[in-house]
Amino acid sequence: MYRFVITATTSMAVLFFIFFLTVAEAVDPAESWQKHYNLWFIISIIIWLTVTVPLVYFVFRYKKKREDEDGAYIEGSTFLEITWTGIPIIITIVLGVQSWALFNQYRKVPQDAYEVRVEGFQYGYEMIYSEGIKTLNELRVPVGPVKLSMISKDVIHNFAIPKYKVREDMIPGRMTYQWFLAKEPGEHMVYCAELCGPGHSQMLAKVIVMEKNDFNSWVESYKIESSALSPEERGKNLVKNLGCTSCHSLDGEEIAGASFKGYYGGASILEDGSTVTVDDAYIEESIKNPKAKVVKGYDPFMQPYSLPDEDIKAITAYLKTLK
Amino acid sequence: MSNEEPKGLKAWLLTTDHKKIAILYLYTAAVFFIVALLLAVLMRTELLTSDKLIFGPKLYNVFFTIHGAAMVLFWMIPVLLGFFANYLIPLMIGARDVAFPRLNSLSYWFYAASGVIAVLGLLLPGRLDIGWTGYPPYSITTEANTALYIFAVHLLGASSIGGAVNFITTIITMRAPGMTWGRLNLAVWGFFGAFIIQLIGVPVLAAAVTLLLFDRYLGTNFYDAAQGGSPVLYQHLFWFYAHPAVYVVALPVFGIVSEIISTFSRKKVFGYTSMVVAIMIITVLGFETWIHHLYVAGVANWSRVIFMWATILIGVPTGIKIFNWLATLHKGSIRLTTPMLYALGFISLFTIGGVTGIANGLLGFDIHVHDTHWVVAHFHYVLALSMTMLCIGGVYFWFPKMTGRMYNENMGKLAFWITLLGSLVAFMPHFKLGLDGIPRRYWSIPEVYSSMMIISTIFSYIAIAGFILAIYNLIVSAINGEKAGDNPWRAKSLEWSIPSPPPFYNFEKIPVIEEGPYEYGKPGS
Ligand code: HEC
Ligand code: HEM
Ligand SMILES: [Cu+2]
Ligand SMILES: [Cu+2]
Repeated sequence: MYRFVITATTSMAVLFFIFFLTVAEAVDPAESWQKHYNLWFIISIIIWLTVTVPLVYFVFRYKKKREDEDGAYIEGSTFLEITWTGIPIIITIVLGVQSWALFNQYRKVPQDAYEVRVEGFQYGYEMIYSEGIKTLNELRVPVGPVKLSMISKDVIHNFAIPKYKVREDMIPGRMTYQWFLAKEPGEHMVYCAELCGPGHSQMLAKVIVMEKNDFNSWVESYKIESSALSPEERGKNLVKNLGCTSCHSLDGEEIAGASFKGYYGGASILEDGSTVTVDDAYIEESIKNPKAKVVKGYDPFMQPYSLPDEDIKAITAYLKTLK
Repeated sequence: MSNEEPKGLKAWLLTTDHKKIAILYLYTAAVFFIVALLLAVLMRTELLTSDKLIFGPKLYNVFFTIHGAAMVLFWMIPVLLGFFANYLIPLMIGARDVAFPRLNSLSYWFYAASGVIAVLGLLLPGRLDIGWTGYPPYSITTEANTALYIFAVHLLGASSIGGAVNFITTIITMRAPGMTWGRLNLAVWGFFGAFIIQLIGVPVLAAAVTLLLFDRYLGTNFYDAAQGGSPVLYQHLFWFYAHPAVYVVALPVFGIVSEIISTFSRKKVFGYTSMVVAIMIITVLGFETWIHHLYVAGVANWSRVIFMWATILIGVPTGIKIFNWLATLHKGSIRLTTPMLYALGFISLFTIGGVTGIANGLLGFDIHVHDTHWVVAHFHYVLALSMTMLCIGGVYFWFPKMTGRMYNENMGKLAFWITLLGSLVAFMPHFKLGLDGIPRRYWSIPEVYSSMMIISTIFSYIAIAGFILAIYNLIVSAINGEKAGDNPWRAKSLEWSIPSPPPFYNFEKIPVIEEGPYEYGKPGS
């Protein structure tokens, strides 16, 4: 018993020491995460060695010598069993407290965070800024803490930024949030980490972190620029940003739907065997209500898009250019 | 009871004998296992390149859906609670059959039908692409035939509840005289815990998918946010069963590991009482952890914290079991037969899965790796590969009992080492992918990881080749293996005291039990 108390208290002391070292007041959750990971990693290696080394050793050391030899008759040992219950409990508590503290950092948004609303849909993200700007699949933020208020327009999605070690689901009918500390300018990937359909792996976006000044001038220039684009150029951006290209390729390859290459003006064969010419009206119908005319050989899983007329015109104009 | 054993095909199909039903379960589960392995081969091949190699996104989603469902619902759970439980419980407690033999047969047929229906989801139009979890609203808005999956889950649920009632009754009421609770095999204790979980959990799963069925086909709105429902409600109901379901698999596995290690160390299981207590703690605590699957699903912060504590505390009873196994090896007389290798291999893989499972359970840690390949790696180590290997080890262990023949030891060991090598390496790259935040269920992994993906694919093939070789060995040995005798392992547990294969009525005379199943080397005996 005496020995046990000594073992338990020393190990507790050591672990708490490590613990206090690692939960130093970091305000960046991504940094705290790394510390949490390091502690977990050290402990895990120790646990793994504690199991595998004796395992291999015993197998060699106590190999059967005679055919009818039996092992020693041992029922158990209270001391040992208390030890390997007690020490894991202590480890669990230490890791748990640290993780809890980290979680609180993740959930407590700094007062001065720049807030953006993000809406997920099959398959993309729309970012809505307080300045009245909207972007698709591109989240531009100034350096500093950023809060995302998120919701989904259709099925459940997720907004994960591995660089900042954050992720949270986007749920229809309910706002969720997360925040991260954008330390330096740069571009980072965003992934959807919740199965949302065949386009799930292509539901990608970017976070673009900018210096405060650059960000402000981007906000200023945004409106002027977007109205200056030609319909073909706008169409090109739309096709990319709305996620059409996750199912329709631009180079002739068949993904889930027909390729857009050389598509306009051609003919499509429908389920019922009839043929339609691909013209403005058919493209408009296909976007607004894809199930009205289903093309033969494809499963009808394209979702309807409700886009303003000028967007559909722009897309059509762009498709005409893909010879 | 008639002592004449019926013969022929009809006898097999209409049987109510627990041993025959068990073997039907084994064959059927093995078929689903092989189907799911084939799908794994296809998926791993597609993942070789970041571009479309053979079938692309739509079929990839279908394949992991059916792979996951078949592996968990139609292989792991049935092989443990259908095959092992059926075969072993009556023999280990000294009974002639289960409490309700005809219900037992019904459970089997429901299970087989359910599995066939689920696999049809792979072939019929409207292929299932909803993941084995089937979250709404996607499972409602998709073109896939969700009804098929729901129907399969319902049938399987009926089968599981029947099995749970049957075996809980059997264990409580049909133990031979002298078979006290303190003398039960640890495998029986494991089954007992697993069946309790089934009895409590499966009805909740059935409710979850029934509401899904109504939403999708009858226009109700339990899960429809626009109409005041909540899509997250489904996740709560689903994981209320589906998390404990991993203990449905794990508890019997723990039991079987104890049987094998004790037999081949010729030594009493160390700390029998703490083993039993650990099983029971896991049974209860397992129901308090489901929110770890909702750590990033926008649920209340405090609920995530509470469920974190329950989740990581499960590591403690699990640790007790591992250390007790090690202590059982200590001062034993160890024989490295094929089943023993599988048991030790299980421990080594399981420990990797265990420590990474603690990481998933740690709330702050998980926020970065949730739903990434980290999780894929974790559960293939902790459950999929380790426990599948152990099940194969278990079949090898009781193979002489079931068939009266001995398997080919060298081929058995070779198959083990091949599988162990493949399994150890195949999922290591996935940890790295997960730490870099690459989500799971992606048919296309970024180009930069291509060399890791090639390694993973090659070693997956190796692991699968090992599985196939192990199965081949069993089939060949069942036909022309050497005669094994009644008790080739000189084991002390009750099932080894009767002839191999056991007669139709199991025990000529119901035995009177005088000591526990692990009394090896007891002084003065
Ligand atoms: C989830 C994958 C997916 C996405 C995303 C998608 N589509 Fe489709 N699309 C399909 C499929 C599959 C078909 C064929 C079946 C059908 O007609 O409904 C199709 C059909 C079409 C057709 C008619 C095709 C023909 O061969 O005549 C047009 C036009 C079209 N899509 C345009 C778009 C545009 C524009 C977008 C982006 C706003 C888009 N699609 C996004 C999958 C998709
Ligand atoms: C060597 C054998 C195996 C290989 C190569 C393999 C491979 C894979 C792959 C590639 C995925 C998809 C990962 C993703 O993209 O998200 C997957 C998913 C999965 N596997 Fe396996 N697997 C194997 C064995 C098993 C076994 C034995 C089980 C038994 C429990 C299992 C259970 C699962 C489950 C539950 C999923 C998740 C499905 C989903 O996301 O809906 N696997 N496996
Ligand atoms: Cu997604
Ligand atoms: Cu779980």
